Amino acid sequence: MSVDRAETADAEVDPRGDDDPTDAPVLRASGLEKTYGTRLPLPFTRTVEVLDGADVAIYPGEIVGIVGENGSGKSTLMKILVGALEADAGSVSREASIGWCPQEPRLYDRLTVRETFRLFGTAYGMDGAEIERVRDEYADRLGFDRFLDYRVDHLSGGNRQKVNLSIALLHDPDVLLLDEPYTGFDWETYLAFWELTEELTAAGTAIAIISHFVSERDRFDRILELADGTLSDVTGEDPTDHAGEDPRGVGANGGRP
Amino acid sequence: MADAREARAGPGTAADRGRRLRAGVSSHVRAFVRTPINVVLLVALPVVMVEGYGMAMEAFPSLPFLDAGRMVEMGRVNGAVYTVAFFAGVLGLFQVISALQADERLRICGYSRAELFASRLVTVVLGTLVITLVSLAVLGWSTPVEAPVAAFGGLALAGLIYGLIGMLVGAVLPRALEGSLVIVFVVDADDFLSSGMLDLDAAILNAFPLHFPHQLFRDAVFDGTVAAGDAFGGLAYLLIVLVVVSVLYIRLTGDGGVAA
Repeated sequence: MSVDRAETADAEVDPRGDDDPTDAPVLRASGLEKTYGTRLPLPFTRTVEVLDGADVAIYPGEIVGIVGENGSGKSTLMKILVGALEADAGSVSREASIGWCPQEPRLYDRLTVRETFRLFGTAYGMDGAEIERVRDEYADRLGFDRFLDYRVDHLSGGNRQKVNLSIALLHDPDVLLLDEPYTGFDWETYLAFWELTEELTAAGTAIAIISHFVSERDRFDRILELADGTLSDVTGEDPTDHAGEDPRGVGANGGRP
Repeated sequence: MADAREARAGPGTAADRGRRLRAGVSSHVRAFVRTPINVVLLVALPVVMVEGYGMAMEAFPSLPFLDAGRMVEMGRVNGAVYTVAFFAGVLGLFQVISALQADERLRICGYSRAELFASRLVTVVLGTLVITLVSLAVLGWSTPVEAPVAAFGGLALAGLIYGLIGMLVGAVLPRALEGSLVIVFVVDADDFLSSGMLDLDAAILNAFPLHFPHQLFRDAVFDGTVAAGDAFGGLAYLLIVLVVVSVLYIRLTGDGGVAA
């Protein structure tokens, strides 16, 4: 698989119908293929084809929902887009800085929240004062400011997820890739999250969210459905077509997290 | 904000790399110290193994190929080498497998694979030096050590080699139980066969990880001497293991880790 940071989006048809040539995608992937299987020639093993020529382009200031059945490959797609997983074939072009909120918080259990921000902020290249300022801002907005000196493994699932999300936001990335970011959030935090995404997209940040909640469809500029290894634009289609794909869909709890 | 984004792009200067390395090591050391079993092992393992091996050898029947005059001391020396090699091996193993997923995220956030490896390695080295110090102190409490500095060097060499081997096992076999079993059995067999208690004459033994460290440590404890050939051999062995393990680690932990 090739990864190209400098390549421009020439001759690409904007799926949003926007012909502004300066409005190039900040993240683009084409022809992605991925099959899971053992690396060893062991008996009684099988391969699972997850992606089969998936294409996606994400533009500045838009918020894209990625939907699909359980096991359809949404998280795999996101891992490939962010660079955490290598595709078997296809290419990814990353034109901007990326923030990634994985489905399972990939954090260090025995570090405190404060230490976690310091470590990841250092990884992003931020200085101490900047890390503290942004950390305190998100701790206040998402409501985990009381837990800054708690170890990550001592946090509730919801608070861990807040830290998980905040780490993705910490360096003010151009593109946010969020894999079910609000799992475990209380209602107030859930609303604060959507308020935050509106501010970010208004400032030009591109956001892609893996979502199961049919009631959220109105919040997205575009909705891409991953099925049979490929992505298709289902924006504007009847949401009830997808209501049964997850027990947490609109029928289960009205779309609340 | 765009300027700040651009300023943060790329791997940065040597100072940035140093800052990331310090932050990584600091975090790993905190996580290590906050794991109670690590602290218990640091204190208890040397006492149990050094004195346990000594008592076991004291109760051993007299055999023609064993030097009956030094049985207890030989047992303690073996116990010290086993302690350091085992602890460092398990430390290396768990440094890798305990945080493969988090390390991968850290890489995406800006760390290079080499920086991740270096920060894990420095943590293993620090842990190895501490367990070496404790083990040597426990040994010295009951057995005279003729050349303490040289003994420390030989013992630390055993730990550093097995710390690297533990990291490699963690990258190849990122599972706690299976990886721990590999370390236990390999260190046990290596310690026994390299101990010098058996009159073995097989060239293959020279390639065992503990061959040179055992020679250096025994000579330093009993005779107060350091054979230059053993010292250079041991350092060369360490260097080769370091190169092999660093290359394999960086390759194997790519693509989200072996377990991905």
